[in-house]
Amino acid sequence: MEWFESGWGLSLVVFLPLIGALVVLAIPKAEEETQKWTALLFAGASFVLSVLLALRFDFGEAGTLQLGTNVDWITAINSNFHIGIDGISLPLVVLSTFITFLSIIYSWEHWPEPHNPKAFLVLILILATGMAGTFVALDLILFFVFFEVVLLPMYFMIGIWGDRNEVTLPVFNITTQMRLYAAIKFFLFTLFGSAFMLLGFLVLYFKGGRTFDMLELAANGAEGMLGSGLAVWVFAALALGFAVKVPMFPFHTWLPDAHTAAPTVGSVLLAAIMLKLGTYAFVRIAIPILPEQSQNWAPVIAILAVIGIIYASLACLAQTDMKRLIAFSSVGHMGFVMLGIATMTPIGINAAIIGMVAHGVITGLLFFLAGSMSHRYHTREMARLGGNQKLMPIMGAILGFTAMASLGLPGLAGFWGEFMALLAAFSPAAGLSTTLFRTLMVIGAVGTVLAAGYLLWMLQKVNFGDPKDEWAGHEFHDVDIFEKMAWVPLIIAIIAIGVFPRIVFGATNDAVIKLVTSAFGG
Amino acid sequence: MNEIAFLPIAAEILLLGGAVLILMAAVTLNLGPRTWAIIAGTTLGLSFLVAWVQWWRIDDVGSQIHYTGDFLRTPMVVMDYFSVFGGGLVIAAGGIALLGGWRLVGSLEKRGAEYVALVLLAVAGLHIMVISANLILMFIGLETASIALYVVAGFTRDRPDSDEAAIKYFLLGSFASALFLYGIALTYAATGSTSIYGPTGIVAFFAERAITEPGVLLIGIALMIVGLGFKVSAAPFHQWAPDVYQGAPGAAVPLMASGVKIAGFAAMARVLTVAFDASISDWAQVISALAALSVVVGTLFAIAQSDFKRMLAYSGVAHAGFMLTALVAGQSGVPGLWFYLGTYAFQLIGTFIIASIISGAAGGASPLDSYRGLAKRSPVLAGALAVLMLAMGGIPLTAGFVGKVGVFAAAIDAGYLWLAIVGLVSAVAGLFFYLRLIVLAYFNDPDPALADEPITAPRSSRLALAVCVSFTFLFGVLPWPLLNLTSEALPL
Repeated sequence: MEWFESGWGLSLVVFLPLIGALVVLAIPKAEEETQKWTALLFAGASFVLSVLLALRFDFGEAGTLQLGTNVDWITAINSNFHIGIDGISLPLVVLSTFITFLSIIYSWEHWPEPHNPKAFLVLILILATGMAGTFVALDLILFFVFFEVVLLPMYFMIGIWGDRNEVTLPVFNITTQMRLYAAIKFFLFTLFGSAFMLLGFLVLYFKGGRTFDMLELAANGAEGMLGSGLAVWVFAALALGFAVKVPMFPFHTWLPDAHTAAPTVGSVLLAAIMLKLGTYAFVRIAIPILPEQSQNWAPVIAILAVIGIIYASLACLAQTDMKRLIAFSSVGHMGFVMLGIATMTPIGINAAIIGMVAHGVITGLLFFLAGSMSHRYHTREMARLGGNQKLMPIMGAILGFTAMASLGLPGLAGFWGEFMALLAAFSPAAGLSTTLFRTLMVIGAVGTVLAAGYLLWMLQKVNFGDPKDEWAGHEFHDVDIFEKMAWVPLIIAIIAIGVFPRIVFGATNDAVIKLVTSAFGG
Repeated sequence: MNEIAFLPIAAEILLLGGAVLILMAAVTLNLGPRTWAIIAGTTLGLSFLVAWVQWWRIDDVGSQIHYTGDFLRTPMVVMDYFSVFGGGLVIAAGGIALLGGWRLVGSLEKRGAEYVALVLLAVAGLHIMVISANLILMFIGLETASIALYVVAGFTRDRPDSDEAAIKYFLLGSFASALFLYGIALTYAATGSTSIYGPTGIVAFFAERAITEPGVLLIGIALMIVGLGFKVSAAPFHQWAPDVYQGAPGAAVPLMASGVKIAGFAAMARVLTVAFDASISDWAQVISALAALSVVVGTLFAIAQSDFKRMLAYSGVAHAGFMLTALVAGQSGVPGLWFYLGTYAFQLIGTFIIASIISGAAGGASPLDSYRGLAKRSPVLAGALAVLMLAMGGIPLTAGFVGKVGVFAAAIDAGYLWLAIVGLVSAVAGLFFYLRLIVLAYFNDPDPALADEPITAPRSSRLALAVCVSFTFLFGVLPWPLLNLTSEALPL
C-alpha cells in the first residue's frame, strides 16, 4: 500500500472520474447501458478509494496533511501539483465522491429532457473531478483550476437540461427560457468572483515569497510577511471570490435561479458539494494565510452571514415554488456555516465543517425529493401539490424526515452545525467584539425558528391535507428502486451524523485546533 | 567577418524561393494546386526546421548579431532566442493558416498560385520584422508583409465588401507604415542611428551619451508605437480590423490576424524593451493606457456585434490589450507576451477556420445566427468551437488561462495592479460573448432550413483545426514545455 499512500490513492480519487468521462465519451451514443455502467464503475471506484483513504488516514495526526504528494507542475511560476488531505478536507472529499456516486444511481432512469445520457454522465464525472480536486489542492493555481473546472459542466448542465419554462426578465424586458438565463447568470457571477480571487492569488504570490504553495504561504503569512496595508484588499478580493460561491448575502442572487433551473442531479451536486467549495476556501486559504485580516473582516462576514440567515428565511416564506424554497433555505444554512467560520474559534470552525457535511446530505436529499416530485406532478407549485402523503406515502415520509433534519432537529445531522455555530458566537475569538457576536447569536437563533416555520409550512402545503382535485384519477408511482438506492444511504448518513457527530468531529477537531493555533497563536 | 552568414536568413531565402517556384510552376509548367501545396509545404516545413537549427546554434555559440559588409558595418539581423522563437512562431502560424484555408486556393483556380505565393511573401516579411536588428530593415519587412496582405485582402474581387476591405486595409495600413517610418526618422534624429545593436546602435547610444533632444525622441517613440499599434489593432487604432476581417476572404483572415499580431508585437517588444529600454518610464505609461483602452473598448464593442468575424475582430482588440499589459513590465514581461501571443495566434486561426467552414472559404459575413444549433449539425465542430471560445475567454485547462495568468502576473510584478484589475474585470465581461457562441451552438436548435444541410469541411481544414484545438488544450493542461521555451526567448 506504499504507492497508495504516497499520493497515488488521492490522485486516483480525483482523476478516476475524469478518466471515466473520457471512457464514456468513447462509447458509441446508442449504447446507453454500457455508458451508465462505466460511469457508475468509475464514480464507485472513486468513492471506494476515498473510503479506503479515510481508513488509512491517521486520525491521531489529523492536523497534518497526509496521503498527498508534491511534484513540479508549472515550474516557470513555481506552481506545484501539491495535494493532500487533513481532517478538514477528508469529510468533504468523502462527501463529494459519495454524492456523485448516488447521483449517478439516481440518474439511472431519471434523464431530464433532452435525454442524451452520454453527455450528462460525462459532465457529472468532470464535475466530480473538479469538486474532489478542489478539496485536496494545496497549491493556489491548482486550487483555482479545480475551482473553475466545476463551472463549465454545471453551466452546460443547467443550459442544456435545465428548466424550459419561459421567464420575462425584469429590467431588460426580454423573454427567454429559464435555463438560458440561469446558466449565464450562474457562470458570470461565479467567474466575476473568481477573477478577483485570482487577482488575490497573484498578489499573494508576489508579496508572500513568490510561491503558490498554501503551506508556505500560511507560514509566511503567520510571520506577517504580507504586511497589512495591501493585505486588507487581498483578503477582500479572495473573500469576494469565495463569497460568491458560498453564496453569501448579497452575492447570493444567482443561487435561487441556478438551483431552480438546474436538472435534479445538477441541483443536488450544486447544493451538496459546490457551495462548500467557497466555505472550504475560507477555512483552507483565507484564515491560515491572512489570519490578521480574517480577524479584521470577521465582523463583516458575521453580519452578512446573519443577514443571509434572516433574509433567506423570510424569502423562503414568500416562495410558491418548492424547489426555489429549498434553494433559498440553502442560503440560510450557508449563513450558519459562515457565522461559525467568522467566530474564528475551534468550535465555530468545527461547526462550519459539520454544517457543510450535514447540509450536503440533507439538502442534497431535499433536492432529490423535489426533483422526483416535480417529475411526477409536472409542477413545483406548492399550491397545486398537497396531500402528497396520501398519494405517495413513502415519498411523503422521506420528505417529512428530511425537512425535520433540515430545520435542525436534535438527533439528526442538521442540529450540530447550527447549534454549535450559535454556541461559538457566544464567545468568539479574542479580539472580536463579544457584544456584536452575542447580538448576532440571538438574531441567528431567531433564524432557526423561522427555518422551522418555513419548512413546516412547506410540509403542510405539500404533504398534508387532501390531494387536489386535479390529481383525481392519477396513478402515482411511489419511490422506485433507483430512488431508494440513492436515498437510503443519505438517510442513514443523516441519522448517523446526528447521533454520532464524532464521525465528522473525530477527523476535524484536531485539524481545526491546529489551524486556529497556528493562525492566531492559540 | 567577411563571409556571409546564411543561417540567420535561411528562412527568408527559402520562403522567397518557394514563392518564385510556385509562380513558375503555375505559369511555365502549368502545374496544379497539388504541386503548389508540395512546394509551399516543403518551404514552410524547412523554414520551421531552420528555426530549430538556429536555436541549437545559439545554444552552442550564443546570440549573434550580423552586419552588412565591411563598409558601414551596420547591424542588420540578430539571431537570438527571441528572434528564433518569434520567427518559428510566424512560420508555424503561416503554415497552419495556409493549410486551414487551402480550400480557397482550390476555388481560385489559376489565381490560386498567386495567392499561395503572396502568403509565402507575407510570411517572409513578417519573419524579417522579427529578426531585424535595424529599424529600416524592420520597416522593409513590415511593408513586404503588408503589401502582400493588402492584395490578399481583396482577392475575391467579385464581392464589393472584399474590395472595401482591401482599400480600407491599404489606406489605413499605409498611413500606419508612414507613421512608423516617420518615427524611425525622428529616432535617427535624436540618437544618430537606426540600428538597435552594435557600437553605434541605439542601445549603445543610451549607455554612453546623454540625450540632447528628448522631445524629438519621445515623438519618435510615440509615432512608432502608433504605427505598430495599427498593425496589431490596439485601440484606438483598431477601426480597420472589423471591416477587414469581415470583408476579406474568410480563409485568408487567419494569417492577416495572427501573423501580423505576432510580428507586430515582436517588433514592438524589440523596439521598446531593447532599443528604448532606457526610457521605459516614458513609454510604459503610454503602453499601459493603450492596454487599458484596448481591453475595455475591445470587450464593449465585441458584446454589441451580431457578426462572428466582427466580434472576433473586436475581441482581437481586447487580446491586443492583454498582450500590451505584459509589455508594460519591459523585458520581464516578454515571456508572458510570447506565451499569450503564441497560444492566442492558434486559437484565432482555429476560430477563423471554423468561421470559414460555416460561411465559406471565400465568404465574408458570418452572422451569429448561422451558428445556432451547431452542436446538432456537427458535434465535432461545435466541440472545437467551444474549446477555442473558452480558451479565448481564459478558462482554466486551456492555454488561454495560462496566458492570462502570465500577463497579469507580469503587470502586477511591475506595479501595474490597476491594469491587472481592469484586465480581469474585462476578461469576465468578455466571457459574455464567448459564451454566447456556446449558447447558440449547444442550447439552441438549428434553423429548420439548415438543420438537415450537412456541414462539409475539407481534410486540410479539419487537420489544421485539430492542430489548433489540441495545441490550445495541451498547453492548457501541460503548459511547461512552452513556458520553458518562452522564458528563454528573451531579446539580446
